[in-house]
Amino acid sequence: MNLLLLTPEWVVLGVLALLTFFELFQFKDEAFYKKVRNLLQLGGLLAAFAALLCIEPKAGTAFGGTYISDPFAAFFKFIFLLAAGAVIQMSREFFDQRLERSHEFFLVLWVVLAGFFLLVSANDFLVLFLALETVTLGFYILNAYLKNDPVVIEAGMKYFILGSLASAVLIFGISLIYAAAGSTLFPDVRASFVNDPQNPLLVTGALMVLAGLFFKAGVFPFQLWIPDVYEGAPTPAAAFLSVASKAAGFAAILRVLYTVFLPLEDKRALLFGTLALLTLLYGALGALRQTQIKRLFGYSSISHAGYLLIGVAAGREVGVAAILFYLSAYALTTLTIFLVIAIAGRELGSDRIDAYRGLGRRSPFLAGIFFLALLSSAGVPPLAGFTGKFLVLLAAVRQGLTPLALVGSLAVAISLYYYLAIVRVMYFAPPSREEPITLCPASKGMLLALAAALVAAGFFQGPLLGAAEHAAQYLF
Amino acid sequence: MIPASHYLILSALLFCIGLLGILIRRNILSLLLSIELMLNAANLNLVAGAAMHGQLDGQLMAFFVMVIAAAEVTIGLAIAVLLFRRGGSLDTHDIQQLKG
Repeated sequence: MNLLLLTPEWVVLGVLALLTFFELFQFKDEAFYKKVRNLLQLGGLLAAFAALLCIEPKAGTAFGGTYISDPFAAFFKFIFLLAAGAVIQMSREFFDQRLERSHEFFLVLWVVLAGFFLLVSANDFLVLFLALETVTLGFYILNAYLKNDPVVIEAGMKYFILGSLASAVLIFGISLIYAAAGSTLFPDVRASFVNDPQNPLLVTGALMVLAGLFFKAGVFPFQLWIPDVYEGAPTPAAAFLSVASKAAGFAAILRVLYTVFLPLEDKRALLFGTLALLTLLYGALGALRQTQIKRLFGYSSISHAGYLLIGVAAGREVGVAAILFYLSAYALTTLTIFLVIAIAGRELGSDRIDAYRGLGRRSPFLAGIFFLALLSSAGVPPLAGFTGKFLVLLAAVRQGLTPLALVGSLAVAISLYYYLAIVRVMYFAPPSREEPITLCPASKGMLLALAAALVAAGFFQGPLLGAAEHAAQYLF
Repeated sequence: MIPASHYLILSALLFCIGLLGILIRRNILSLLLSIELMLNAANLNLVAGAAMHGQLDGQLMAFFVMVIAAAEVTIGLAIAVLLFRRGGSLDTHDIQQLKG
């Protein structure tokens, strides 16, 4: 057994233990406590990053084959770390000037991060389920964190009901697979499935497992919760949900699709192509008449899931590499957008799109970064979002799915409409107040770094694309 | 001896009753009960599967699922209490501030 393969997980759990330990002291001095907490979290993120860099090239399994570490999992862990870093900064902005205690929010954030790490490394259905539940139970708490705000509680309740329904479907699917195959290890289940591809228990089980994962990823028939939850949930929780939960959902879908459910391969293009079409159109059309900015980005994230599904439908190494690139670009873009929303939400006192009137005059920096991120999200060249969309659509055309690629291009045009509507409000509507907005240096630095990464990944796709292609190979 | 396939049929029925409960019941506590029913249907499958294959793995997994179910319902009830304190109702039709 090779426990060293889990070093990134140990680091995350260690930070969690230390954070919990510091909680015991109940420092009288809140400022001192926050300083310790911030340093600990920053150190933890850097240590986990270093551990990932060391572990990344190695591929191996631990715990009797139930845990697998390979570059594919490591690629996603880098995305989760990036998301966690940005979300921690976002939470600091979000809880600043609020009366609520934020201590537990950060603790649960690290629990969820550990769950994500395990989820992408699962090589056994039971581990997959337990990791997914660690994540989901954490999100139940994060989404309902502001206990005095009825809207937040409502969003938390909606996420809870639909999330536990998805978990129930997932575990029922797993139980069917176990009853048919007699094992939950991915290689064993694959062997049974390949031997008997028509086994009704295995086929039903596989579809139910996929349905449970579709909920996480926000894919068409299971996307209904997204707009409500994004609108109601605290902004950092919504951002984490939007980036990390979607990435983890797709990581798990790809892993089970290519290492376990091989007999589904000949139906893959049809199944995922149809879902891609419906998800894309639902997201793009739903976003058109939104007045609330977080709700708008809920619909926008549904339409992003549609593009990722086009990548799944295209499939093979090309499709998977395109998905990995798209997810990295999506993570950078969405984290930038939500960081701006967290700051603007506090300064403007509202998350309505109207409230962004004159932001371009009150804070040219914030508005400029937001503009850049919106363009990347829509897929305007030469930003990272464009390259991601281009790769996904190219993969679809290469695999003979041209109609799907056409609908994908059409959705870009629709999305430009609703993104540019925000830009119009920011720059051309008269401001309701004039005083400028000042940013704290940490947020300013993070926004600049994220924006620079957006531009850099658009101009020099080579390194990121190379990493994505390298990671994708390990799935086959 | 009851053949193992009968257990699978029973658990499928239990699962469907739970799913139906989620779709038609309006009280949040009933929804929690329905979810519990679906999770227990999965447990029945796991235990039946363990008996079919002559292993203990499935029974072990059922314990994991029970622990998860307990944790889930704990959080769910906490959110339900908060919701009741705010709105004075646990009817899902009264929860509709977020829409559009």
